[in-house]
Amino acid sequence: MTGLSRRRRLAAVAVIALAAVTASACSSSGDDTSDGGGGAYLVWDPYPQFAAESEWVSLLKKCGTTAGVTVERTGYDTTDLTNKALLAAQQGNSPDVLIVDNPVISTLAEAGALTTTDDNKLDVSAMAANLLGAGQSEGKTYGVPIGANTLALYYNKDVLTAAGVDPATVKDWTSLTAALTKVKAAGKKGITFSAIGTEEGSFQFLPWFWGSGAQLTSLDSPQAVSALTLWTDWLKQGHAPNSVINNTQTTSWQEFATGDYAFAENGTWQLANAEKLGFSYGTIPIPANAGGPAPAPTGGEFVSIPVQKNTGRYETSQKLVACLTNADNLLATDTTLSYVAPVTAVQDRQATADPKLKVWVEAVRAAKGRTGDNLGTKYPKISESLWTAVQAALSGGKSPQEALKAAQTAASTR
Amino acid sequence: MLSTKRTSTTTQDQDGAAKAAPPGPPPSRVRRPSRWLAWGFLAPVTIYLAAFYAYPLYRNVELSLREYTVRSFVQGGAPFAGLDNYRTVLSDPAFGPTLWHTLIFTGASLVFQFSIGMALALFFHQHFPLSRTLRALILVPWLLPLIVSASTWSWLLNSDSGLVNAALGAVGIDPVNWLTSPGWSLTSVIIANIWIGIPFNLVVLYSGLQGIPVEMYEASALDGASSWQRFWRITFPLLRPVSTITLLLGLIYTLKVFDIVWIMTRGGPTGSSATLATWSYRLGFGNMLPEFGPGAAIGNLLIVMALIAGLIYIRIERRQHLR
Amino acid sequence: MTTSTPRAWWKTGIGLVLTGLMLFPVYWMINVSFTRDQDMRANPPHLFPINGTLDGYRAVLDQQLPYLGTSFLVGLGTVVLTVALAAPAGYALAKLRPPGGPALSFVLLIAQMIPGIIMAMGFYAIYLTLGVLNTLPGLILADTTLAVPFGVLIFTAFMSGIPDELIQAAVVDGASRLRTFWSVVLPVSRNSIVTVSLFAFLWSWSDFIFASTLAGGGDHQPITLGIYHYIGNNNQQWNAIMATAVVASIPAAVLLILAQRYVSMGVTAGAVKD
Repeated sequence: MTGLSRRRRLAAVAVIALAAVTASACSSSGDDTSDGGGGAYLVWDPYPQFAAESEWVSLLKKCGTTAGVTVERTGYDTTDLTNKALLAAQQGNSPDVLIVDNPVISTLAEAGALTTTDDNKLDVSAMAANLLGAGQSEGKTYGVPIGANTLALYYNKDVLTAAGVDPATVKDWTSLTAALTKVKAAGKKGITFSAIGTEEGSFQFLPWFWGSGAQLTSLDSPQAVSALTLWTDWLKQGHAPNSVINNTQTTSWQEFATGDYAFAENGTWQLANAEKLGFSYGTIPIPANAGGPAPAPTGGEFVSIPVQKNTGRYETSQKLVACLTNADNLLATDTTLSYVAPVTAVQDRQATADPKLKVWVEAVRAAKGRTGDNLGTKYPKISESLWTAVQAALSGGKSPQEALKAAQTAASTR
Repeated sequence: MLSTKRTSTTTQDQDGAAKAAPPGPPPSRVRRPSRWLAWGFLAPVTIYLAAFYAYPLYRNVELSLREYTVRSFVQGGAPFAGLDNYRTVLSDPAFGPTLWHTLIFTGASLVFQFSIGMALALFFHQHFPLSRTLRALILVPWLLPLIVSASTWSWLLNSDSGLVNAALGAVGIDPVNWLTSPGWSLTSVIIANIWIGIPFNLVVLYSGLQGIPVEMYEASALDGASSWQRFWRITFPLLRPVSTITLLLGLIYTLKVFDIVWIMTRGGPTGSSATLATWSYRLGFGNMLPEFGPGAAIGNLLIVMALIAGLIYIRIERRQHLR
Repeated sequence: MTTSTPRAWWKTGIGLVLTGLMLFPVYWMINVSFTRDQDMRANPPHLFPINGTLDGYRAVLDQQLPYLGTSFLVGLGTVVLTVALAAPAGYALAKLRPPGGPALSFVLLIAQMIPGIIMAMGFYAIYLTLGVLNTLPGLILADTTLAVPFGVLIFTAFMSGIPDELIQAAVVDGASRLRTFWSVVLPVSRNSIVTVSLFAFLWSWSDFIFASTLAGGGDHQPITLGIYHYIGNNNQQWNAIMATAVVASIPAAVLLILAQRYVSMGVTAGAVKD
């Protein structure tokens, strides 16, 4: 082969590559810009697991058709979506409808990236107040919950029976620890949860934190120390595995699925997987220290309408969101996601259709928003301090008291 | 600036290691090519650099010099803060330990990646049956997305259901809390990072070895040199340019590693495996409320560290060149 | 050199052991890809997927194959563009040594230090204006930033080992510098071209951050994004994730073995020509 022909060929490749770049630059510009009165409305959601032919996407399309527009949907990984939404807002290129994890709403609202219900005329009156709280700040509402989830204790019936524990007797921390001791004596493992150094860790710790009577505004109260001491003692006494320090909620579920554990703290979203377990299971609410169910944090996503240059688009976006959050569609969506609906009437329909959901509906009704109590954008800092303290205590670096004291200092100074 | 040593032995025409044969008189060049011609060759890459690196770099510097909140990130108008973000970072009690972890992580990773990579390159250079296939297979870890390989490592090192602890248990050693105790977490992420870095070192060093003319070994074999002597007298000196560039690139890649650590330990527990890169990521992107300013400041500190390493490299190069 | 003496086979044995050690985590990944949910965290862990399941692979084969094609195209495009940009630059820096060259290599080094996510955010802003988000050329262009600085440095280091006499001979023959580059420098640099191509391919194959930022929404998603199908908001399907990784690495591993063969052939050809 001569150098010349090779050169020609390489040059040709370069030209083709360049042409391709320019061609696609021409063809696709305009698709992505959301200003102007184009027919396509962009929807971003954190459900990449749903492919183009899934029920969720066909629901989106259907709502678009009803509103007289086409819907272009993109599913992003949830951890990616916050950054992407902030960037898009910065570039003036936000989607028309944005579905995000509920604690993110207050961050995006703080950034001025979301419209309030005053601007977009969404009707949120049917939504349960404790769920809507996560989308509200200073009297304004920035989104509508599309579904909710929360935490409870799953238990392994076989393990409990073998250890002689009746789950109905687990009503407070003392009885729970007693049950764990019996399970351990019977040669099985006690409880698994997720205490990882991310928001997931705080999410899982909060039911115990709130269940002790502690408040997020005071991380080092004696009640808070008692909650962290509970977890730390479980690890020390071998009731909970050391791996919880690094467990995600999925890892902790996998541990429970082995059949060795009596209890697992996990969420509504595991219901579908729970049916695949090789043993029979049950659920009880997470007990508070003094008895009764502890308030668990609410999880789940919100539908919001980001700020657009062309305010004329809100009208159609509002129709889309209203369609997604009407009773029938909520029922369908929340059934696919294994979530509890945010509307009381729909919750009742869910509980009737599947009696197992009853526990979860009650748990969601008793649950509390993380960014509620008017914490808003203070919550992320508090949460980071909290999970840091949990990690420090569980890994033996600090006593629960010292760890929480440091957390309170960090949360209040930064 | 890169090695420009010329050979004075008759060599075959392989590319590869610059030759470290005794310096002869500098060979005369035919004619000095015009600088325009040289820059003609460099033009594509220069334009490319300006087009695609300048903006992100500018952006990172700009982020670090302003006091960004989420609001001003989106709406603009963040006030100029001078070096405040740098002061915040440097005075943070976590700075000292994190810097120390970064140095240990980088140093240990480099030493082991390089020496294991070199040993494997020498071994596979011997051309035995299947050597090519096996060498290619060793590269497979590179094909895996980091989320998969890092998760696999945290699987293996899990305190309770991990295979490593099960193996230790089988020989009567107590389980180690690899990822969940402050004493071990840094070691664990270093082990995983070494594993990920070996293929890179192997390939580059192996290509370098192929550039060493066989005659040089044949000559020394006649002298009766042992294989150990051959390595130190011939292979190692001839590989020096390739080795320095491998180490330098390794340093740069290792300094900015964050995903492995992030996936395995999130830098924890309690910051015991945090490096500057994971810290920067945590501040800027790993939180619900991003702190872009300090995050970018740490990123720039890392760039400065790489700059220093680059300057040291140039000095070494120049000294080698003068000798 | 490949003689099948007993000694050589003994080395093959050691080679197998070393490769086995290096690939053990990969084996573990394969093991997990066959494991049922309830056995994933069994204690002690199962060394083999007893009661294995093919669920993970069923999911992958149903959903993932189109992504593989995209990954291949992006990988090949990245290789071509990287070599096209880096090889001339390496030649100029190693042999023509223009004033300002050292400064340029230095900038290249520093360019590698910009965190990936910052690069991705920069590209996102640029692409949004250009309208090339979610396109193949866009992703290829971004992926080349992973390998171009590396490529230039490697080419420089390797090309400086090419004897000047060889180039001078060509110049004396009356070839232009460009012609010399194509017909003399590039052919003898085959080895480093393969090395750089290999890494350019591997980096773009395993790239996650550019893919998710720049191609996350479009029809052209590489295989690394396929994994997102199994990473739900609160839940991950690990057997399917690992199965995706296995399916993704098989064709690429075959390609690697073929490329390695080519490297060695290049060497032999060079020796014969000598």
